[in-house]
Amino acid sequence: MSGDGKYFATTKKGEIHELKEELRVLDKSRRKDAVKKVIAAMTVGKDVSPIFPDVVNCMQTDDLELKKLVYLYLINYAKSQPDLAIMAVNTFVKDSQDPNPLIRALAVRTMGCIRVDKITEYLCDPLQRCLKDDDPYVRKTAAVCVAKLYDINPELVEDRGFLDLLKDLLADSNPMVVANAVAALADIRETSSHNLLVLTNQALFKLLRALNECTEWGQVYILDAISKMQISEAKDAESIVERVVPRLQHANSAVVLSAVKVVLLQLPLISDEAAVKALIKKLGPPLVTLLSEEAEVQYVALRNINLIVQKHPEVLSHEIKVFFCKYNDPIYVKLEKLDIMIALANERNIDQVLLELKEYATEVDVDFVRKAVRAIGRCAVTLERAAERCINVLLELIKQKVNYVVQEAVVVIKDIFRRYPNRYESIIATLCDSLDSLDEPEARASMVWIIGEYAERIDNADELLESFLEAFPEENAAVQLQLVTAAVKLFLKNPQPRAQQMIQLVLTYATQETDNPDLRDRAYVYWRLLSSDPEAARAVVLAEKPVISQGTATMDPQLLSTLLGNLSTLSSVYHLPPSAFVTRAAHTPAPSLDNGALRERTTTDDGVAAAAGSSSSGPVSDGAPSSAAAAAQPPSSSSLIGDLLDLDISDPSPAAAAAPVEELVEVMSPQNGKGLGIKAGFSRENNAPVFLLQLANTTQQSLDGFMVQFNKNSHGVAPASQVVQVPPLGPGETAGASVPLTTNPALINPAANPATIQVAIRNNQQGVLYFTSPFKPDILAAPAASPVDDNFFGL
Amino acid sequence: MAVFGEREARILVLGLDNAGKTTILYRLQVGEVVSTIPTIGFNVETVTYKNIKFQVWDLGGQTSIRPYWRCYYPNTQAIIYVVDSSDTERIGTSAEEFHAIMDEEELRDALILVYANKQDLPGALDDAAVAEGLNLHSIKNRDWAIFKTSAIKGEGLFEGLDWLSNQLKTRKR
Repeated sequence: MSGDGKYFATTKKGEIHELKEELRVLDKSRRKDAVKKVIAAMTVGKDVSPIFPDVVNCMQTDDLELKKLVYLYLINYAKSQPDLAIMAVNTFVKDSQDPNPLIRALAVRTMGCIRVDKITEYLCDPLQRCLKDDDPYVRKTAAVCVAKLYDINPELVEDRGFLDLLKDLLADSNPMVVANAVAALADIRETSSHNLLVLTNQALFKLLRALNECTEWGQVYILDAISKMQISEAKDAESIVERVVPRLQHANSAVVLSAVKVVLLQLPLISDEAAVKALIKKLGPPLVTLLSEEAEVQYVALRNINLIVQKHPEVLSHEIKVFFCKYNDPIYVKLEKLDIMIALANERNIDQVLLELKEYATEVDVDFVRKAVRAIGRCAVTLERAAERCINVLLELIKQKVNYVVQEAVVVIKDIFRRYPNRYESIIATLCDSLDSLDEPEARASMVWIIGEYAERIDNADELLESFLEAFPEENAAVQLQLVTAAVKLFLKNPQPRAQQMIQLVLTYATQETDNPDLRDRAYVYWRLLSSDPEAARAVVLAEKPVISQGTATMDPQLLSTLLGNLSTLSSVYHLPPSAFVTRAAHTPAPSLDNGALRERTTTDDGVAAAAGSSSSGPVSDGAPSSAAAAAQPPSSSSLIGDLLDLDISDPSPAAAAAPVEELVEVMSPQNGKGLGIKAGFSRENNAPVFLLQLANTTQQSLDGFMVQFNKNSHGVAPASQVVQVPPLGPGETAGASVPLTTNPALINPAANPATIQVAIRNNQQGVLYFTSPFKPDILAAPAASPVDDNFFGL
Repeated sequence: MAVFGEREARILVLGLDNAGKTTILYRLQVGEVVSTIPTIGFNVETVTYKNIKFQVWDLGGQTSIRPYWRCYYPNTQAIIYVVDSSDTERIGTSAEEFHAIMDEEELRDALILVYANKQDLPGALDDAAVAEGLNLHSIKNRDWAIFKTSAIKGEGLFEGLDWLSNQLKTRKR
């Protein structure tokens, strides 16, 4: 028995222990080797945090190499040893006063990377010193450190006046410092509600002067900062443009795009038309040059150019040839080029463009071919005088009988018919020849529409429709809808027995057999119309259709200007506003909160709202005030209250619409709700839609047994469970709850207002209360990361 | 490693905050009074005196840092415990910390040198009173000494080091 103990007593104490021993030796070179071993272990992923104090003890050394290694270790492990990290503070303080500027900068940079709340306070004094250092490299590093510190503790940065020091650095004599100060301020501004880059003219000119001298990335920062500034004087705009235009020749494509952005933003302010013309002329060549880079850069450039030509086609109107696709372009470049070709096509170049598009339509890549065919259709819709030529090209393509080309052509020809009614119907015969090859829903739906619309001109329209109707139950919903309408049209135009029989059949099926509510409702409408007043039916169904508008303005102008302001960022590549794909946690309440946090959040909101209401000059640091304050606040103070506008549900701005996080609004005051005050809103938690409730009991009794139900609504949204998970609410108490939501097609009421949902809430004491809560459907889906396609032709 | 008969020793300078530890360290190292701020963390300097290379660790004395002193205990040959002799109110606290150190197993063999610092200030307790306050005489079985010092004036510091170096030399031999 006594002998077995030895198996547990090991003499080997492990690597960590050995390292610990080695770190404690007095000999410097052995200690350095030990630290190197530690870093090596760290980089391969071993946890060497247990020897934190021993490594930190090697920090005070005049060996720069060793110091750097220890700093590296600190950055990695300070977070896992937040208490012990305090032992490093004094060394930082000392190093930030070292005679060697490299060490000062190293210290200040490492300090910024450590992100341990407990020690940030101690690091403010060294940071303050370094912001005023004699050496520009140290000042530059300190400027970046302020932004990092702001991310950890914004209040501290504001209390210590670092923001003002940072602003002072904008006027620094060294361009590198200026560029980094700009970058830091821009970074801070993204998380804070202050507009930090409100610049005086003087500061603006200092920035412009630094622009010529700093590095390329510094130039990008400065240009982006200028693009965010509110310039209102034509004089300022002109001097900005004058300084920025030389940047268009820069070799770095980021600089070029940022410069283009700044120039474009100044254009509206410049009144001299000749000057504007000259500027626009200057923008073209640099953009063309970007297309000679590698394909990935081309793609980014093309996405940006796509936005630019929507607003200013004249920039590149003479350069359409560079957007012709090369045979070896990657498909993503080709597709983008097509879009731009469409935007740039005009009566002068349409022949050239058509020749190209026709060529593309015979290539092998199906997606590309389809898009080329659609492009021809779009040209026809936009350019009236070229429509005939476009149609001829389409007919030629149809005659080639390539299946997907024909289908695509049918879809666009439908649009051409709607754009130019009674002009090109002679080609219907050609279309009917290829009827059998149509197997895609969109093409079939388009063809059915054409048959119905022009039933009187097609001799055998009834036969054609009948052939479609054979497989009616199996058809796609879109085709079914078109078939119902087409059958009605046919009947109204030519009420012969065969058509009558057909319509009976279709409507019977659509009203009785289908479970698609759209189809059923439409069939009922037709049925009632036809049975009660055929003349009225004729007036409704065969009414003159409005001519469809031109297809160029595909993007909402407000979104377009937002995106143009974000040129050369991810936003302009996605064609989405930044708020749609960037979530900043720092100063806006996080979307996922448990009930407790929700309660806390709503109470702080109230506090902030009260503060904002009583003194409009009070700084609002975080959280967003409730809607009561939102309504009370004049719009002029909106910048003060930060994200206030996001909660204004009537605000149609795209930024607000894109944000999935919804704030709670008061839907029932205690006066109206028998003493129960309710705030409600919709949001997403854990990637699923939820209904957020905040219940305030102002009655004298305790309330319990809360349940909630929705009226049928336009989205089919309903609570997953009717029971509201909330504890019994004593008198004067407030509680928050989140109710998971589901969607159920059976609960869709298409007639309901899509922006609101009617809600019933009950509890055991008060019975049922009704209220209407504002609703934004975007909470039902996670924000799309893929670029939004224009769906004009999908109509 | 001892070269040319030079010895090395690892020494901790401990004591409550504002006792004058950092000032003593730099007085010993550069011979000047440097302006100091509260040490959040540590300072380490090498002081060569009487052929002994002292690696002197000056640890911050604030309450928040005292728990981490223990990280520095292994392989320590001597403790310099600094007391602010003019801070009569906190002499009791200082004594508590002192005896906590005395009880550390890892410091069992360490020499104890007490500096009754700030003798230049009016109302400062003398060495006997400080020894009384710390209850030094209760220490048995280990070597200790107390010196009246003034880091500002530079008095008494090297006398203490003399004692230390003598003790170390006799002990090593």
